[in-house]
Amino acid sequence: MSQSPEMLSKPKRQRDSLPITLRMRETIAAYIFLAPFLIFFSIFVVRAVILAVRMSFYNWKILPPTQDFIWFQNYQELFNDDVWWTALQNTFIFTGITVVGTTVVALIAALAVTQPIKGKSFFQVLLYTPSLFSVGAVGLIWVWLLNNQFGVINYLLNFIGLGPYNWLGDPNLVLPALSFTTIWWGFGFPMLIFIAGLQGIPDQLYEAARIDGANGSQIFWNITLPLLRPTILFVTVTGVISHFQVYGQPFIMTAGGPGRSSYTVIFYLYQVAWTSFRMGYGAAVAVAIALIMAVMTIVQFLFFSERVEF
Amino acid sequence: MKSSSSSRFWSYVVLAVLSVFVLFPMSIAVSQSFMTNAEVNDWPPKLIPDNPTLEAFNRVVTQDDMRLDLWLRNSLIAATGYTLAVLVLCAPAAYAFARLRFPGNKFIFGFLLVTIMIPPQITLIPNYLLMRDLGWLDTFYALIFPGAANVFGVFLLRQFFQSIPKELEEAAVLDGAGYFQRFWHVVLPLSTNALVALAIFVFLGHYNDLFWPFIVTNTLQTRTLPVGLAILNSSYAGQFRPTVLAGAVLSSVPILIVYIIFSRRITQGVMVTGGLAGR
Repeated sequence: MSQSPEMLSKPKRQRDSLPITLRMRETIAAYIFLAPFLIFFSIFVVRAVILAVRMSFYNWKILPPTQDFIWFQNYQELFNDDVWWTALQNTFIFTGITVVGTTVVALIAALAVTQPIKGKSFFQVLLYTPSLFSVGAVGLIWVWLLNNQFGVINYLLNFIGLGPYNWLGDPNLVLPALSFTTIWWGFGFPMLIFIAGLQGIPDQLYEAARIDGANGSQIFWNITLPLLRPTILFVTVTGVISHFQVYGQPFIMTAGGPGRSSYTVIFYLYQVAWTSFRMGYGAAVAVAIALIMAVMTIVQFLFFSERVEF
Repeated sequence: MKSSSSSRFWSYVVLAVLSVFVLFPMSIAVSQSFMTNAEVNDWPPKLIPDNPTLEAFNRVVTQDDMRLDLWLRNSLIAATGYTLAVLVLCAPAAYAFARLRFPGNKFIFGFLLVTIMIPPQITLIPNYLLMRDLGWLDTFYALIFPGAANVFGVFLLRQFFQSIPKELEEAAVLDGAGYFQRFWHVVLPLSTNALVALAIFVFLGHYNDLFWPFIVTNTLQTRTLPVGLAILNSSYAGQFRPTVLAGAVLSSVPILIVYIIFSRRITQGVMVTGGLAGR
């Protein structure tokens, strides 16, 4: 047990009589330090989460005097809601492509940056730059690059005999196109995490492997990758969580279209709550999203923790 | 890592390709924001404008419904206010968790950690209705307060405060300093690095946020940059492409300035905080 600084500073004989009042003073001080945070947290997080769950059992409209309790009807409706299932499927596809893409690009970038080369920190800083932009700026830039008539991407593909593609107007291309945009925007964060992870692998392991005659790819598959597993777990878990919440890219670049090909779950939450103003149903959508994300996180932890031990 | 010359060569190849991948879209955006409306629609696309013009930049800050200057001001006010609110709420709480013994310390902190798992979207509808009932819609209060109890901030600062040697505080105790003085005069001055790192992240995150500002603001007086850009795109993308690109470019300038000044601190900060959270 660590002693509080007061106790250490007092002469020993006083310790029997004083601890209670000191303890109380310390407790009171602690709760004064905590109070502002806990008050805000209670109002904007605890209260909000409880109210959201409660609202999901009501036909909660935006402005009536009373709200009707309707048991599980919102959830029943959600279960039979084709738009919800479309949005969920789109979100999974987008998240899958984006997480795999960002992880691979980030790992390649990190491996290159951690070689003993000149200009390491310059490249590190440069490659992280897109991550700083707002989704607004990223969306505006890429919606134009991907334009089917005047877009530079199609112009470049033309040189290798491909296209033109209607990236954001074709139901089969729109999600990969949004993923590509997001990979450009987001690979900097996992890259930095991988760099930190790679720097944590002791050099002796590489030396020992080389003395045993291992070549570059053997070293990568048998040493680097296994030792990076905790880092890969972190990168994929945070990636899945953040990309599953995708909203800005479809909102700005496609408005969910063409048709509903780029509706995502958060985009749909926005539609339900702030376009149709169905707050109770929107709360049910939000609770469903939260549950799905919690399950995905737990599954990933189980999957990786099983394989981290070897 | 291996230091053979072939692996160095491939590193340079990879980094050159990635640098082009990163820089190319930005260069196109910058270059085309100096073009005229007709010029951006040329085929093949031009990479350099024939006669660079500031028309688009001029339009984006003067036209009545665009006013990027106001959006920028609003974003700076809201992000600064939010950052200060986060620091004011999180630093004392983190100090209590790191250094004070009180019943409930472990329980409350553990509870906060569990809530990190709850996606923030679940709070949107109740908090939106609360803003409406308080009359805070379309005010800076709505942009600053609802997210200010930032659990990650508490987590980060607690880790940092725990790394400060206790002896430094004990010296202050001998001088008769109370809890607040120890926090204010001993712990905080030793934590400027952590506070600045947290402030930068919180600021950038808020500056770039879209969903919440989009639902709680609806006039030029409070709309933030990302919201403005989204509206700019939906109403002007068809005919005024350079204007839209100028908006994207201008809105990124403040961030790039912050990044150029603090680039090492930011990339190091991501690694350290990411490493902490990954543990």
